[in-house]
Amino acid sequence: MSFELFSNLVGAFFTLCIFSFLYKDNPFYQAAEQLLVGISLGYGLVFTYERVFIPYVYQAIVIKHDFILIIPAIMGFLLLFRFSRSLSWLSRYFIAFSMIMVGAGVPMGMHASILVQMRQAMVPIETFNLFLILLGTVAVLLYFFFSKAHSGIYGKFVNVGKWYMMIGFGASFGLTVMARISLLIGRIQFLVNDVFGLIK
Amino acid sequence: MNLFERMQKLDRRWIYIVVALAIIIPLMIPYDSDNVTTPPTENLYQMIDSFAGREDRAILMSFYHDAATMPELFPMEVAILRHAFERNVKVFALTWSPAGAPIIEFAINTVKEEFPDIQSGVHYCNFGYKPQAFAMILGMGDNIANTMNTDAEGRKLENLPIMKGINNYSEMNLVVEFSGSVAGMSWVTYARPKFGLNVAVGVTAVMAADLYPYLQSGQLIGMLSGLKGAAEYEKLVDIFAAYRDPMIDYSITVDEDGNKILPGRPFGREILNDESSLALSKITTQTKAKFTADQYAAFTAKYPEHLTLLNSLRSDEEGLAVIDVTQITPDMRDQMGEVLFRELNQLTRNTLYKFKVARIGMNAQSVAHIMIIVFIIMGNVGYFIQKARGAKD
Repeated sequence: MSFELFSNLVGAFFTLCIFSFLYKDNPFYQAAEQLLVGISLGYGLVFTYERVFIPYVYQAIVIKHDFILIIPAIMGFLLLFRFSRSLSWLSRYFIAFSMIMVGAGVPMGMHASILVQMRQAMVPIETFNLFLILLGTVAVLLYFFFSKAHSGIYGKFVNVGKWYMMIGFGASFGLTVMARISLLIGRIQFLVNDVFGLIK
Repeated sequence: MNLFERMQKLDRRWIYIVVALAIIIPLMIPYDSDNVTTPPTENLYQMIDSFAGREDRAILMSFYHDAATMPELFPMEVAILRHAFERNVKVFALTWSPAGAPIIEFAINTVKEEFPDIQSGVHYCNFGYKPQAFAMILGMGDNIANTMNTDAEGRKLENLPIMKGINNYSEMNLVVEFSGSVAGMSWVTYARPKFGLNVAVGVTAVMAADLYPYLQSGQLIGMLSGLKGAAEYEKLVDIFAAYRDPMIDYSITVDEDGNKILPGRPFGREILNDESSLALSKITTQTKAKFTADQYAAFTAKYPEHLTLLNSLRSDEEGLAVIDVTQITPDMRDQMGEVLFRELNQLTRNTLYKFKVARIGMNAQSVAHIMIIVFIIMGNVGYFIQKARGAKD
């Protein structure tokens, strides 16, 4: 038996273990689920040690003598004090320092997610699609404006916003179904081609 | 209990069985179906293709996902890598997630098997897993070699041939982020405004709805959404990048005027809309290389020493010269050599399974969707009829 066939058979066994939950909960499903959690955690731990701690901390400080990295290394180490009730306050220094990221993200995020998006909603209405985008933007924004009662002509107009959102949710749901079916297709392609294809 | 009550109380396990059969049967019996390409996919394809054969252009592929989303994202990655390797586009790859590192290697090796001349450090470079995405994204805008330092094999980047002509985002001008989240927005937020980097995403279908507004505003230049996006890209690669003209000798890399001869052909709307292009992207097995009289003459002129052998394999069908590759015996294969054998196989327009996974999957997807729609309609009809009867009683 080749290694490829053996590894695929192991994969097929655990795929079927997980699928067995569709019938009802059972020990095979439980075992496969717990193995997944354990292996993911173990793999992540070892990989992070090998690919992050060794090259970016140990080698950088001990071999390359890049001593400035001791400061962020200590900051990172402080996070481990989360496990101590009396010393957990030390970990907050790292969290406070990491707020720099949030600070950097605000102006850039404002630009990408708000300003550029607004600019593109203010272009001349040259096509029917652009008209639909304008109508949808205004109607949805007004739907969430609660200082005026949603009644009369105004109420009918903001209802258009509700319809826009319902169409959006429908599209999201359709795409979600597509994604879930794709996952099932991927697993069945694995079983049909990679496993039974090798056995044949 | 009447029929409608039974429908409402149907055990969900029966539905699972029907959905499973709706997927298994089309996967086991593949059939050719058209897969219409959409502008977000075409735009990404064209941008990558515009880098073909250029020393001073490269793409960056960011594999920010684990095995859970591979059924949707892996076919996209394979299709883009195949496009890049076919058209001689430099590729860089990285991941921000430890679980993404083996997926990069798996994707590259899957495609590389069919491209024996492609070399690590020359045609592509795998940076591997890198922590600190924020710092790396900004750092690469100034200098890629200084920021990334080494590739996944531990080689200094500045010594690699692929880095010739590549300094920062001015040259590595396109990033494609593959993820099951909105991680692609990190590039849009930090790298696009500051450095003018072009950003595209390959996302799971669930995330596509969240990212469409950024396509409309032009902040994303393209998007592959779920298995459908992957299937569209596979089709474009088959029709354009993997296309071989029997009349062109691709062993010559520069023409008389000094222009590079690249395998494949550039994107063309008229080619895509032409009915005959469907024959280039079939998912059923193709075994016959078909030539017009002129094409056959030009093709055999490239291999004058094998003319007798090719003529012995030739048959005529509907006014075309046809060579069936299944008729080639091992002796004939030894006689003609690997180059001619590979070219004949390419001219059958047959696509290897790994390069049509998404399209085969889309067949099953179509059947499953029809089943789900039928279930929804049946469920609703049953519900409303029962409700109406309840009101009447």
